[in-house]
Amino acid sequence: MRPGVRPAGYALVRAGRGAFLLHRRATVVAGVLAVLLAAVCVLYLSVGESFVPPGEVVRVLAGQPSPDRLVVETLRLPRMTLGLLVGAAFGVAGALIQTVARNPLTSPDIIGVTQGASALTVGAMTYSVTSYAVLPYLSIAGGIAAAALVYVFAWRGGLHAARFVLIGIGFAIALRSMMQLFLTKGDYLVAQQAQVWMTGSLNGRGWDEANPLTLALLVLLLCVMWAARAQRSVALDDDTATALGVRLGRVRLGLVLLGVVLAALATGAAGPVDFVALLAPQIAPRMTRTAQIPLLCSALLGAFIVVTADLLARKLFAPTELPVGVLTAAIGAPYLIWLIIRSRTGGKA
Amino acid sequence: MSAVPTSSARASLVSRRIGWTAIAVLALLLAMLLSLAIGSRQIAPSAVFDALLHGGGSDAAEVVRSMRLPRTVVGVMVGAALAMAGTVMQGITRNPIADPGILGISQGASVAVVVLAIAYASVHTLTGYVWFAFAGAGVAAVLMYAIAARGRGGATPVKLALAGAAINALLVSVTMAVLTTKAAALDEFRFWQVGSLSGRDVEVASQIWPFLLVGVVLVASVARGLDALALGEDVARGLGQNVATVRIVGGLGAAVLTGVGVAAAGPIAFVGLAVPHIARAVVGTDHRWVLPMAALIGPVMLLVSATVGRIVFPPSEVPAGVMTSLIGVPFLVALVRRKAVAA
Repeated sequence: MRPGVRPAGYALVRAGRGAFLLHRRATVVAGVLAVLLAAVCVLYLSVGESFVPPGEVVRVLAGQPSPDRLVVETLRLPRMTLGLLVGAAFGVAGALIQTVARNPLTSPDIIGVTQGASALTVGAMTYSVTSYAVLPYLSIAGGIAAAALVYVFAWRGGLHAARFVLIGIGFAIALRSMMQLFLTKGDYLVAQQAQVWMTGSLNGRGWDEANPLTLALLVLLLCVMWAARAQRSVALDDDTATALGVRLGRVRLGLVLLGVVLAALATGAAGPVDFVALLAPQIAPRMTRTAQIPLLCSALLGAFIVVTADLLARKLFAPTELPVGVLTAAIGAPYLIWLIIRSRTGGKA
Repeated sequence: MSAVPTSSARASLVSRRIGWTAIAVLALLLAMLLSLAIGSRQIAPSAVFDALLHGGGSDAAEVVRSMRLPRTVVGVMVGAALAMAGTVMQGITRNPIADPGILGISQGASVAVVVLAIAYASVHTLTGYVWFAFAGAGVAAVLMYAIAARGRGGATPVKLALAGAAINALLVSVTMAVLTTKAAALDEFRFWQVGSLSGRDVEVASQIWPFLLVGVVLVASVARGLDALALGEDVARGLGQNVATVRIVGGLGAAVLTGVGVAAAGPIAFVGLAVPHIARAVVGTDHRWVLPMAALIGPVMLLVSATVGRIVFPPSEVPAGVMTSLIGVPFLVALVRRKAVAA
């Protein structure tokens, strides 16, 4: 390949017979994010009611015998893993949906996906369904149902972003009031449990919650690899994409569906951790300076945000623990406000 | 009004308005009667009249007088307050989807009550609540409008709704942070948060009416200004209206009315959205007619929602706030689809 053909900012990587282009800056950013994430994770594991030195944490993770094995591996590791997975899932979900809608405001927590997942889950909880084998499916069902409803009602000879967002907000409000209704039905303990869940919390989550999510996410990861390719074709303008033989409608539907399932699944596992799906895919492309939203970077960033927020949530008002969703909303809502103030075209976007 | 073409056209408009107002009054009376008669035990309308007019010591009369009458009266007041607040907000923002619930103003009032009054100041009386509710509603309203009106394009429906959603999320997160650290407040909060008329006694009505009156006076004083504003800011100025005063007085009135509604019944969404549209559809765009009409239809919607909520899943009851949401969302969807709300 002549050097002139290679697009600026890309490096050509050859592996055996295959060769692919790697965006240099994106690769560097992903590397830096991964290192940061690892650092936060070690910090997360060492800070808590008792302090475990970071060196000891690394020893435990490496599988060497250590007196702190119980604290690190049984108490803190599952919760952190869940945080990582949930954050990554929200990051990717937001990236996919925002790519298709080409609008930062169509984040799953604004258009009612997480509210749908929450409503069904809280409803089930008040009718004393607490098995973690069932709840994730319910949240997926709720999320997809809400997204489908919003889509159907917003469709009118095409999908207008503003109409979609408005109707999504309406549904989100209605679903939230359904949730409130379920809350008043249950007894006090259930209500408290559900209320904490509703704000998004990683508190007291063990392998029971982390395992099903890990499995499901691994399966979805395979789909995400497809999504990374498909994402590029969707980013083209419609005529070019169609001319290149891309079935736009199908690809879009697939991407959105994947995003909705990821968001709903993450909601089911940790409750609606608000605004991660809005923030991560917004910040990631600004770091990599790519036209598209980089999936890997938004996954890493999402995980970073959630783990950091949970670390703060644990320590900020210790011994009382805040739900992690409180912190992500406290960061995310001002960002949304900034987006609104800054938006140039107001309605259309 | 010399611009009106013929006197007969004007006469027919007036008679139509009077006719619809009469119908609305009848509907309101019917809704009140239903609210008094239907509950966990059905009481015949004749018995209701009997209990109200002649007293009497029977169980039914006791139920009507001590439980159902207060909640009906509160329902009428809250419904009227929210509907008028919505009308004024739609007028000020010149925006068809303005509603205290959607714009996050009710949430502001409700968070102020929960966080400041219940959790920190240990205020548990309604007159205490009201001040916090006003302050919360006012702050949220100013914030919301400041956010949405910034940037190019001004306060478009999408920006208003999003600013409301953002403020909502922020406030909910603050509330949750407080509630997680104060477990006792959660129990009071979860029932109040949903918006309900049940369990409201005469006390409530007697405490909120002065505030309601203030709100109504404020709102009524800007009715003409809102008419002018509907023609556009420049035209309104040309007609001699002080636009800033209209906005400030109207906004104050709307915040007071929202505060009254929220303090008495919790955040009830969508009454303020749907009712003004219905009112405008029947009496035209003149705010001197639209406001009273909204004040008549608002209670009808709220009372019917509450009554339906009582009979769908007996013996438990669906709170009025949930019912109005379920009625209101299809309305919002229709509104967004039908009109070019977007842009």
